Amino acid sequence: MITVIKETSPHLRRRSSVSRMMLDVLIALLPVVVYSVVLWQWKAVVILAVSLAVMIPSEFVFVGIKNKMPYDGAKHSFKEKFKFAYSKYSISNVLAPSVSAVIYAMILPASLADHLYVVAIGALAGIVLGKLVFGGLGSNIFNPAAVGMVIAKLSFGSLFTYNADPFYSTNLGGTVLSSVSAGGYLTINSQFISVLDLFLGKCPGVMGEVSALLILVGAAYLFIRRSADFRPFVAYIGTFLVLMLVAGLCICSKLGFENLSYWKFIGVELFSGGLLFGATFMITDPVTSPINRPGRYIYGIVAGVCTVFIRLFAALPEGVVFSILIANMFAPVIDYYKWSSNKFTLKKIIWIASILVVAIGIVTLVLLSPGVVK
Amino acid sequence: MIAKTRNIVKKHDSKGAAPSKDYTNPEFVYLATANARCPNAEVFIKEGDHVNLHQMIGLRHGPFFDQPIHSSVSGTFVGLEKHYHRNGKLTDFIKIKNDFKYTVDPSVTPRSDEEVAKLTKEEMTQIIKENSMVGLGGSSFPTYIKFQTNAPIDVIIINGVECEPLISADDTIMWSEPEKVARGMEILNQAFNCKRCILCIKKMKKSLIKFYEDYFKNRPGLEVKGVGNYYPQGWEFETIKAATGVQLKPGELPSKYGIMDFNVSSVVGIYMAIKEDQPVHIREITVNGDGIVHPQNFKVRVGTLLKEIIAECGGYKDESIPKKIILGGPMMGASIPNDDCVITKTVTSVIVLNDKPVKEEPCVRCGSCVLSCPTGLEPVQIMNAVNTLDKERIKFLNPNKCIECGLCTYSCTSKIRVLDYVRRAKLISKL
Repeated sequence: MITVIKETSPHLRRRSSVSRMMLDVLIALLPVVVYSVVLWQWKAVVILAVSLAVMIPSEFVFVGIKNKMPYDGAKHSFKEKFKFAYSKYSISNVLAPSVSAVIYAMILPASLADHLYVVAIGALAGIVLGKLVFGGLGSNIFNPAAVGMVIAKLSFGSLFTYNADPFYSTNLGGTVLSSVSAGGYLTINSQFISVLDLFLGKCPGVMGEVSALLILVGAAYLFIRRSADFRPFVAYIGTFLVLMLVAGLCICSKLGFENLSYWKFIGVELFSGGLLFGATFMITDPVTSPINRPGRYIYGIVAGVCTVFIRLFAALPEGVVFSILIANMFAPVIDYYKWSSNKFTLKKIIWIASILVVAIGIVTLVLLSPGVVK
Repeated sequence: MIAKTRNIVKKHDSKGAAPSKDYTNPEFVYLATANARCPNAEVFIKEGDHVNLHQMIGLRHGPFFDQPIHSSVSGTFVGLEKHYHRNGKLTDFIKIKNDFKYTVDPSVTPRSDEEVAKLTKEEMTQIIKENSMVGLGGSSFPTYIKFQTNAPIDVIIINGVECEPLISADDTIMWSEPEKVARGMEILNQAFNCKRCILCIKKMKKSLIKFYEDYFKNRPGLEVKGVGNYYPQGWEFETIKAATGVQLKPGELPSKYGIMDFNVSSVVGIYMAIKEDQPVHIREITVNGDGIVHPQNFKVRVGTLLKEIIAECGGYKDESIPKKIILGGPMMGASIPNDDCVITKTVTSVIVLNDKPVKEEPCVRCGSCVLSCPTGLEPVQIMNAVNTLDKERIKFLNPNKCIECGLCTYSCTSKIRVLDYVRRAKLISKL
């Protein structure tokens, strides 16, 4: 005699799971993490440990608060309540905050190892304000790592210093982008850092963002495993490149092509700062991105435009995290049921084209007007 | 995993050209007195009466049409017995004891080729209606209603795609009965006064396509075409698109574009009904899945008990593991609550799967369901609308476009039964 189970169709399931997806992100982060530990030694380890030690227990407490026993008239002991709440605690409740924690640690400068309370406050703010208040995994609007980093940076901005790493000891007194922002575009040519050094990661910067090569290795792994969607990545990098190519033409023609090498400008903008890291690990986060194909392209384009605007016009040298948070705000709008669909309609293509054209227009007009480029 | 799914893993696929086992001599046959489309029936015979093969012994009444019940054996009427029907309901079945003589009823009059050539569409419609021919691909939609169309038909599409994994019954029919398939296609061409009849087969079955290309060489009007290997290529719209390039819109009938489509086993059934005047009494089924000891294809008499066929396969493997018994393909088939079930003529396959419990996790909005949906719906949006009971939003999202192919549930990374939400949305949108 056998037991027969009745269930609704379909009866086959694809071999994939959320926890495997998150594990893949952790594996993709591994080269970056190892490189940061090589560069900053115990400082990187301490920052990673603190952010993990804050985020994972926060999620643990949250699971206990969220899964209340349904009221059935009887009184239950604390042990029973605890047992009920944590019967739903699964491996993804550990992996999800670990992914956030590792990404968060990787976008902090190593100098924060001397001020670990900043790391802890940022991590707590990130996981609680960025994720848990919305209802935990799958419900958050903002990227928790980005929220944590922004809150830490806005509250303790003076502590975010970019010192030389003990491994290469290249000291510029700041990141490439911050020195460009402070000293003008001509510093790109006078700087001794080559684009190849930027690509390989021989430059100052935040912990995980320095080596473009290792980030691209992680990206390749993610896209081969299909644990991240390539669409926002492609749209984001593509928009950034298009706008930067236009901006580079404007800036170089103003300063003179002999004073500022066009391709070095593009290379510095592409490989420095958190652009590739954000594009690989933060903008591809499925929870905070729209759900359909055109939506994901539009999302990447919005983030790309924001990054370029912040880099070129704003007071901040680095705009990736902010632009990702701004694009996150657009995700529910892009997903609004009255216009979201999985097909590329003419209307959507016109929208995408007009966003790009307007952005290119603004970039050229502002950069070509007198007194902006120095 | 964020990816579109088109190819479903095929383990345990039985070899297409393998001969099927004959199981056409059961001791008892059971004929349903009700089905999904016809809920009531009257039985014309009394207990102890002798019945002949193909004798009409009852009539099922439905809201739109009636279906005659034909005996699939000759023997004695024993009585009514309750068993599970394909649709999962406990139904009265007419139990007939087989006398193994197969005395054909005198009303059955096989036609010669000349007589068949003279038949008009109206006469054929009448013959098919009398033989209670229905779509044998699983829809059980009465074929004569398709024949009643007045639209001019330019091309007839024969669906031999069989895109669901684990099934190979149509494949076996196409290998073993090419003459019946070809003659059936010619009859359809004659009925609809049509010049082209295209048999659609998956591209990867190269030898089968080659075989039919040779077979159709001297038969004008018959063609064979390789179509995509993916699921749901067998969906009417996708097959028509692959064969003719016409993209139908939801709610439209193919006859609007001069297209008519039939399943390949229905074509064989139509040929048998018109040439031999026999209703469907023997059909090809696949028994497959990881819960069966010897998966294989069977020729069974309509009305055989499922238990007997499973015993013929060597029984269940790993009896301690709970099983899912599915009539039809593993993606769209119906799961039945008990193995005390009867093979009716619309059962294409029996799939027995070991139950693997999966843990449902919250939706991470990966979008796999949206990417996979063949109708262009957004299942996750419908699910969110159902969770918030937003009726306006559900109506706007138009869940009735859904064909229940099951790809959203199949591809879900969080193992959510998305299709159940879409089904609920269909109900809500009708309120």
